[in-house]
Amino acid sequence: MRSSTLRLAWRNLGRNRKRTGLALAAIGLGQFALLAMSGITRGYTDAMLETVTGPMVGHVQIHAPGWRDEQSLELSVTALDARLDALREEPGVARASARIYAPALVAVTRDAQAAVVLGIDPEAESGSKGLLATAPEGVRPGEHRVLVGRALAQSLGVTPGSELAVVGQGKDGSIANDLYTVAGVIPSAIDLVNRQGVLMSLEDAQQLFVMPDEASEIILHATRPEAARELASAVAARPAFAGLEVLPWQDVVPELVAILELADVSSYIVLIFVFVAAAAGVANTMMMATFERLHEFGMLLALGATPARIMRLIVAEAALLGLLGVALGTLLGAGFVAATQGSGLNLAALGGEAAAEATWQGMAIPIHIFPRLAATDVLVGVAAVAVTSLLAALWPAWHAARLEPMEAMRS
Amino acid sequence: MRIFIRGSGRAARGRAGVPLCWIVGLLIALGVLSGASLHAGPAPPDVNAVLAKLDDLYKSSGSIGRVEMTVVRPGSTRTLVMRVWTRGEDRALIIIDSPAREAGTATLRVGQNLWNYLPRIARTIRIPPSAMLSPWMGSDFTNDDLVQESSYREDYNARITGRSTDPPGWQLRLDAKPDTVGLWRRIDLVVSDDGWLPVVERHYDRRGDLARVMRFDQVRVMGGRRIPTRVEVTPTGKPGHRTVMRYLEMQFNANVPESTFSLQRLEQNR
Repeated sequence: MRSSTLRLAWRNLGRNRKRTGLALAAIGLGQFALLAMSGITRGYTDAMLETVTGPMVGHVQIHAPGWRDEQSLELSVTALDARLDALREEPGVARASARIYAPALVAVTRDAQAAVVLGIDPEAESGSKGLLATAPEGVRPGEHRVLVGRALAQSLGVTPGSELAVVGQGKDGSIANDLYTVAGVIPSAIDLVNRQGVLMSLEDAQQLFVMPDEASEIILHATRPEAARELASAVAARPAFAGLEVLPWQDVVPELVAILELADVSSYIVLIFVFVAAAAGVANTMMMATFERLHEFGMLLALGATPARIMRLIVAEAALLGLLGVALGTLLGAGFVAATQGSGLNLAALGGEAAAEATWQGMAIPIHIFPRLAATDVLVGVAAVAVTSLLAALWPAWHAARLEPMEAMRS
Repeated sequence: MRIFIRGSGRAARGRAGVPLCWIVGLLIALGVLSGASLHAGPAPPDVNAVLAKLDDLYKSSGSIGRVEMTVVRPGSTRTLVMRVWTRGEDRALIIIDSPAREAGTATLRVGQNLWNYLPRIARTIRIPPSAMLSPWMGSDFTNDDLVQESSYREDYNARITGRSTDPPGWQLRLDAKPDTVGLWRRIDLVVSDDGWLPVVERHYDRRGDLARVMRFDQVRVMGGRRIPTRVEVTPTGKPGHRTVMRYLEMQFNANVPESTFSLQRLEQNR
């Protein structure tokens, strides 16, 4: 396209600034809405994914087949230490830690309550994505000292220093029972930990439940969470892990995958609005601009302009309009995300109490989210507007190109 | 006390529990049956009479016995020997004698309450309602099996559905009455011709699925009563899981003082 065409298109857009401004606003608003929505959705799914896969689920889980249904101690991962060593050498593994989950009765007085003993690796779980991330500073389980979930501690009436009896059943069927000192109380966003959790060191749990060198599961955190599935396949392919179930988080919590996909779908719905707004804005503007200038087009044709030149002119006008609008919207949308991604958006302020207490599968849903944009979000919007602008300009352009110069000038 | 032989309890799910009631009930049942007349032959018995026999099977003012419980799991078998005392329908004390690692571990039932004493940590804990469906002492019986009270006559509509050839006896079908709060919606059982002793019971849960099968055999006279001295419980859907109870010694209508069933006695652990 020659630069004169662009110049002409630019000038033509300036002829009716009010109309052009309205079209730009419609397109820009659409793109802004798309980017703001995508940014918040991405921030939300990021936070959700991190909450779920972070401390509790991990990116990849390894257990004995059937454990997820029965959760029985008999279904354990054996030869634990050797397997953990192998996993820590596996590329892509940021962290590998073993856990024991065992139901038990716990009591300070005679009145017992049902609880779940979690035997964990205190060092590995102390990171920002570990079960102990919310533990009081310097308070860790080990050597017959345990942490108790806050809600459980309240209902048992335990405080740091209390002596807690733990009674369950060992893997060999024997009665597992021992006394532990409560080292601290742990608040947790994870319901299981908060309401039922008695967190002890893996060694203490192995001893209590007669599971030497064994655990209920191994949790892997990947260096690249998006490659969880590939990591699971690589681990499953190792001979040392034959006969064990190695699952990426997508298979462990398929419901979460569905929720994340739903978020994607809602982005696409907004995208459709952007399309419609852009198409309506451009089509309306171009139609009016074309029909009020039929006389002028007739003149141009009479002076020797080719129909193709006329078509190009109109299409260029439409493209310029669409791209200007989308650029404006991108500027606004990106500005919004850039302005909020640092400090984040606190949804609790918007949703009130109910939002603050929302949980999903026993895990508190993040209410403070940090919007994030991907390049694809911008590109998809730009492409959508470009395509709809061109399509919307086609009919007026085609109509103008087919004008009879004499008739057009007479009109 | 009612015993879970009658289907008052439910299948254990994998933790720890004691078939107290059942032990006790069996013991008591012996005495009742020894006095019963024989009901052999093809004429179907009166269903109410059979239910009355089964209901009263376990009743005794007091009993003292020794029981062996074998818990079979895929790849392992564990045998406990315990002493049992009962009084009336809702008092029971069970003390484990062997294996050595668990000797002295005891369970006390008073009414609907259940306590376990653990000698290793010298602590007594009361089983909370939320743990009632957990296994008793790692068997296929639940804590609930120990405290359940149910009556075939009061809780079920029963009818005789025909002859059973293998094992020989009469087949009964019991459907829980609509207002009954219990675990079993339906119980199918076979009683023997000689004295209407239970032979097989099939317990169906609230969804109508078979939850467990109980088999009774080794009928002997013990403590003056003629009873099956061995009961085998097989939960469905758990291949390789099984619990067998055997009565080693039993005394019925024994004088067991009320003081036996106290927390002090539980913790003394003779």
